[in-house]
Amino acid sequence: MRITMIKFITKRILIAIPTLLIIVAFSFSMMRVAPGGPFTNERALPPEIERNIKAAYNLDKPVYEQFYIYIKNLTKGDFGPSFKYKDFSVKELILNGLPVSVTLGLSSIIISLFIGSFLGIIAAINRNTVFDYSVMGVSLVGICVPSFVMAPLLSLFFSLYLGILPTSGWNNGNILNLILPITALSLPQIAVISRMMRASTIEVLNSNFIRTAKSKGLNQSYIIRKHVIRASILPIIEYLAPASAGLMTGSIIIEQIFGLPGIGRYFVVGALQRDYTLVSGVLILYASLLIFLILITDIIRAILDPRVKI
Amino acid sequence: MQLTQKNIKNNNLLLNIHNLNVFFKTPEGISHVVKDANFNLKKGTCLGVVGESGSGKTQTFFSITGLLANNGYVEGEAFFKDTNLITCDDETRRGFLGKSIGFIFQDPMTSLTPHLNIGDQLAEIAIYHKKINKNKALKKAIEVMDIVKLPSNRDIINSYPHELSGGMKQRIMIAISLMCEPDLIIADEPTTALDVTTQAEILNIFNDLKNNFNIGLVLISHNIGVIAETSNEVLVMKDGQILESGETAKVLTKPKNEYTKHLLSCIPPWIGN
Ligand SMILES: Nc1ncnc2c1ncn2[C@@H]1O[C@H](COP(=O)(O)OP(=O)(O)O)[C@@H](O)[C@H]1O
Ligand SMILES: [Mg+2]
Repeated sequence: MRITMIKFITKRILIAIPTLLIIVAFSFSMMRVAPGGPFTNERALPPEIERNIKAAYNLDKPVYEQFYIYIKNLTKGDFGPSFKYKDFSVKELILNGLPVSVTLGLSSIIISLFIGSFLGIIAAINRNTVFDYSVMGVSLVGICVPSFVMAPLLSLFFSLYLGILPTSGWNNGNILNLILPITALSLPQIAVISRMMRASTIEVLNSNFIRTAKSKGLNQSYIIRKHVIRASILPIIEYLAPASAGLMTGSIIIEQIFGLPGIGRYFVVGALQRDYTLVSGVLILYASLLIFLILITDIIRAILDPRVKI
Repeated sequence: MQLTQKNIKNNNLLLNIHNLNVFFKTPEGISHVVKDANFNLKKGTCLGVVGESGSGKTQTFFSITGLLANNGYVEGEAFFKDTNLITCDDETRRGFLGKSIGFIFQDPMTSLTPHLNIGDQLAEIAIYHKKINKNKALKKAIEVMDIVKLPSNRDIINSYPHELSGGMKQRIMIAISLMCEPDLIIADEPTTALDVTTQAEILNIFNDLKNNFNIGLVLISHNIGVIAETSNEVLVMKDGQILESGETAKVLTKPKNEYTKHLLSCIPPWIGN
């Protein structure tokens, strides 16, 4: 088991390298194709100054050479200098925003997973009751209302109207500042996860092996714990990677709305201002995170379901 | 009612079913799938239940063990020893299920929990009902695996359902039902999903159980040949009604009901006698 696991993980990391390379190449060329450059201004720079700046950032070299230099530096863990935040390297900016984004993303995914699964199971056990209908009704709203609509509504109500939570800012990760952004990010995921969990739990509850468990005289809570959850959580585990992707894109907007100094903000600023290295850097980070999450998902699946061979 | 009360004094009697009716609420209205069933089962004997598919065999026994689907309900009396399984509370019924009453289902391929290993599925029932520790329960598991003629080694204990054949899974199901030394085993078409050789081996196990362990056995089958080989008494069901019942030998040699005659005409001549 352990050896096949190590083999599996090594294989997946090796596959991840070309995937990342393609993503880097793609983002690199997308940025070059977009009109304008990092130093395009309202007022044109004197030609000799522009030439000097371009030379400093290697922009005077042919594109394929720029790409080669970029990749070479990447292998050394160097994401290059930011074109817009002049005194910072991309790595510094990312490391700066990472704690904020990770706190936000990780709390949201954990909260969505727990609350969503819990609500789904309870709804499935009590299906066609008031509880079931309310959870499903509210979750429908959660799915339909995107987080960039939910966020201002939440902040309107809790910050401006009730005045119990701050409207924005990071405030060194104060829990009060985190509540609204995490809620806005999690609600759509809780909605999706609770519906998936309800459906899969109902399917499991109707399966023959649960009938066997009942015929063994086991009580309901025991059956749910030992026989139901591990089977019904499998679709949720598979949904983890797409959910995280959703959270990442969601957090780009949420960080803007709540004025949080996370990575998402650099991504938006970088894209708007043609900060080539910053955008590529953030993109590589997002892609690696997703690849890592998919790997984790597959490992959890193999642990939960003995039929899955890795 | 008087009669029922007297019958249950007879401590050889395991099951005493009186005016049992099963209904399902469906979008088209209420469907009545078991109609006024009456029958008994004594210790150490086998009751065969035959009838075409859809005749109500399964629902009769689901109804007395609390396994009916959510839209089903049951009326009547079903005494197991001296407890009415219909009116007793869920906890009392669960106390019998798995402990004194074992249930074996038609489809062994899907009847075991895919993510638990065989040892866990065997052991849990004894741990749950008898409050013994896992080691003792696994020892017991090895014992019952021997009864159902499975190689009683650690390989099977540690394997998962998808690694076993249908016949092996059905043996595991029987082994599970034996873990707490039950008085009654209800086997619902236990061999229907299996190939012919495996069928014969499984039926042999049931014969052993009935003869050696003094277990009351209900054997449900749409195959009258299977019933002829194993059961002492037989119920013939059609459309939710028990058309004919009595000693297997009598019913099968001198059937009174036209439907029973028809069923008998369907079995090949080399089975029976
Ligand atoms: N959940 C249900 N809702 C409605 N009808 C049902 C349900 N379960 C079983 N039935 C019906 O009950 C009848 C008896 O079924 P069953 O006892 O399973 O037959 P069998 O003799 O083949 O075991 C069938 O007509 C079946 O369609
Ligand atoms: Mg049936």
